[in-house]
Amino acid sequence: MFWNKSKEDKGSDRGQNQSQQNQQNQQSQQNQQKDQTQTKTATPLTLENLKQKLAKMDDAEIIEREPNADLKVTFIYIRTLVNQERLNESVIEPLNHWTHNSVFDTLSIAKIKSISTLEEALEQLLSGSVIIYDVFYEQWWTVHLDIALSRSIESSETETILYGPKDSFSEQIDQNITLIRRRLPITELKTESFNVGSMSKTTIVLMYIEGLTNPEIISIARDKLSSIDFDLFLESSNVAAFMEEHPHSIFPQFQQTDRPDVCVYSLGLGKLTLLVNNTPFALIAPITFFHHFQSPEDYIHRWIIASFLRTLRFISYFVSITLIPMYVALTTHHYQMMPMQILFVVMESRLNLPFTPFWEAFLILATLEIIKEASLRMPTKSGQTLGVIGGIVIGQAAVQAEFASKVLIVLAGIATIASFLVPNYLMTKSHAIIQFVFLVLSSFLGVLGIVIGMIAFLAHLSAITSLKQPYFAPLAPFHGRDWIDLFIRGHLPWMKTRPVYLHPLKKWRTSRRR
Amino acid sequence: MWLFFKRLSLLGMLCNMFLMTGCDPFVENNTIEEISPVIFWSINTGEEGKLKISTLVPPVIKETKRLLSLQVDLFKQGGEKFNLIYYRELKRGQTRMVLINEELARKGVISIINTLLVDPEISQRLYLVIVRGNFDDYMQNQIKTQPDLDYFFYRMLKHYEKYNQGEMSIMNLHQFKSTLYSPFPYPILPVFKVNSDNFSYLGTAMFDQDKLIGTIKQMDDQIFQLLNNDHYLKFLPIPKLATTLGYIHSDVHKKLDRTYSTLSIQIDITGIVEEYRGDKNIIEQEQFYQLRDDIEHYLEQQTTDLLKKMQQYKVDPLQFGNLTLSPFARPMSKGKWMDYWQNMEINVDYNVRLAPLSNVQK
Repeated sequence: MFWNKSKEDKGSDRGQNQSQQNQQNQQSQQNQQKDQTQTKTATPLTLENLKQKLAKMDDAEIIEREPNADLKVTFIYIRTLVNQERLNESVIEPLNHWTHNSVFDTLSIAKIKSISTLEEALEQLLSGSVIIYDVFYEQWWTVHLDIALSRSIESSETETILYGPKDSFSEQIDQNITLIRRRLPITELKTESFNVGSMSKTTIVLMYIEGLTNPEIISIARDKLSSIDFDLFLESSNVAAFMEEHPHSIFPQFQQTDRPDVCVYSLGLGKLTLLVNNTPFALIAPITFFHHFQSPEDYIHRWIIASFLRTLRFISYFVSITLIPMYVALTTHHYQMMPMQILFVVMESRLNLPFTPFWEAFLILATLEIIKEASLRMPTKSGQTLGVIGGIVIGQAAVQAEFASKVLIVLAGIATIASFLVPNYLMTKSHAIIQFVFLVLSSFLGVLGIVIGMIAFLAHLSAITSLKQPYFAPLAPFHGRDWIDLFIRGHLPWMKTRPVYLHPLKKWRTSRRR
Repeated sequence: MWLFFKRLSLLGMLCNMFLMTGCDPFVENNTIEEISPVIFWSINTGEEGKLKISTLVPPVIKETKRLLSLQVDLFKQGGEKFNLIYYRELKRGQTRMVLINEELARKGVISIINTLLVDPEISQRLYLVIVRGNFDDYMQNQIKTQPDLDYFFYRMLKHYEKYNQGEMSIMNLHQFKSTLYSPFPYPILPVFKVNSDNFSYLGTAMFDQDKLIGTIKQMDDQIFQLLNNDHYLKFLPIPKLATTLGYIHSDVHKKLDRTYSTLSIQIDITGIVEEYRGDKNIIEQEQFYQLRDDIEHYLEQQTTDLLKKMQQYKVDPLQFGNLTLSPFARPMSKGKWMDYWQNMEINVDYNVRLAPLSNVQK
């Protein structure tokens, strides 16, 4: 219902339940009114009107046929959107043998329906349907014959794992739904379809498990989807941008994944999944900060190994955001805190440098970000060149030219590699911003600056929400039961309950207890 | 309104947090390449009652080293004056050693100790060392051959402190201060003997409050390590008995009678006979036991002599006075304890358990 243009209420979370219900009622009333207005203002469907709309569209075909002397039929379709072979087989061929039956009776095809307005006709036409005008009975029919352009199911490139399912989503939404339904063959798995984008007419499918996912969360998602008003949606992150409650935060509030197993696991815990047409990336919500550190492989490894790897990721993230600022703090303000052996090395390496520790670190980090960004944009074959240039220029030449200290190069390398341990790519990108902010704070206030930065960082994480659920749960608010799958990944049989912050209707994951 | 008060209280809490931690928003310029962190101060008596302080600059980096020396009235004055004669600002935050000349230590070191203690930049993990001889001359001679001598000296002290090697009496500022301001203030410090070419460990200096009273050396110092400091010795050569004992661990049981007239010390020792060059055939059990008895007797005699020496010096570095302490009671005064200590009868009993060089025949 993309024409619903009511804006999202940006009220505070306090007392949201009541206000939400009121808002929902108001909104549904508004929707009904608008639907009625829509029907009233619908343009009558005539061949002339249609021809006028399709003028200057080279790939629009209008073909008139007369199988019999007194029977006449007109096909209207967009050549580039319709499967020509199926059109011949399923529509044109049967209509060649047409008698005086209606078109509906003549065409034994499932996806046929009657239409009456110009708007309906255009919508069908642009989604890959053939419009059939029966001149004799003066009836309009539409047959859906779109070209199923899709790449085959391939393994994910963004979330690679060694063991576990290799399939990933493609750009075809129906195919993606199939991949999920195969893993969740239950009738409780519901799919609600929405259309967004006044130009792109993007289909979004909201998936959840009825009787498990909290209805309040479903309702929030539904409202947010209904209130989206924009022209183009080419990627699921575009949709997330309209649904996030804190768009100015650097932390993604929707998990983006192209892995069906991740979606299914999330659905099973009581989360929602949004599939967006023409993109392989689904959105999962509500999520927490800690979800970005979870990998599908965590649930494949032995639990002790998985816990070790997950803890390593958290430590690496912390190291990646604080290591370089710590270097600047120590070399600028707190030389006393360094063990003497390290002081030796640091003093020696910084002796003839032209830059202060801050500018030295800033330039190296900026260069690293440039190299990282370039490595993504460059063709694969040029990647090796980039590695050589990056390694030699940054690693060796900068030190030899006394532009940067050896110690900083080592630390920058460790921090950069540590940042890649976070499985979520969008999260990896956020670390650079935090690192630069901490860098500035540490250059002014030393370790105190880093502490202030950390307080602000934690305060921000505690303040933001994902589909109005706390983003920093189960740490704040504290849910001790959920800690079994937080910094460690507990033994699977121990993980008997679903996350508390999701308030699922079924608490227990075992069938014996409900 | 509620939100305003909430924000105001949060701001107040944040400000309090900084104030309570004593954080200073006006930070010093400590850019590492512009400063010269001092590793050690060598303090000596100067002319006309002044102090002569010296340090080696730059301390850690591989540049040509210089020994800076100044005669000053006040210890802190040195830091300021050094900055005027050296191109890098000298910083005290990495001070690891203070070497005090023996002559100065005999006059009293309380002013130096207090100055070091109140300086927030100086860590209490700072080694205090007494030097017999002119350390400056030694440094000046060694600069060219061993430029990182100060660092190696620090590493040596750290090594012997960290693993209780039982070779030296290593003390840091915190330990010295704790004893100095205890009811029985008889701290100890290591003494190093230095001349223009050599630098060697001499023994343990005994203090009466902040004044150096005497030094215990060689065998006495070894027994001191067993009694108090580390309760461990890697080697204990006893030339008189042609024996070297190794890996000696001691367990000391001290008992003071109610009238403070007799002190009984029982020392259980375990170790091995590392070397024997005497006349006894210690493969035979009887002769081995005889050697053990000789060792026990020797150690008892040496320990008694050492404790008598302490009584003569009127010092109690082994902190026997602590045996008089009891809960909910005022500690005995230092003078009163010294009266008891000087006239105390001392009974020393060693119980030595040794592993022989080889299998012993019955």
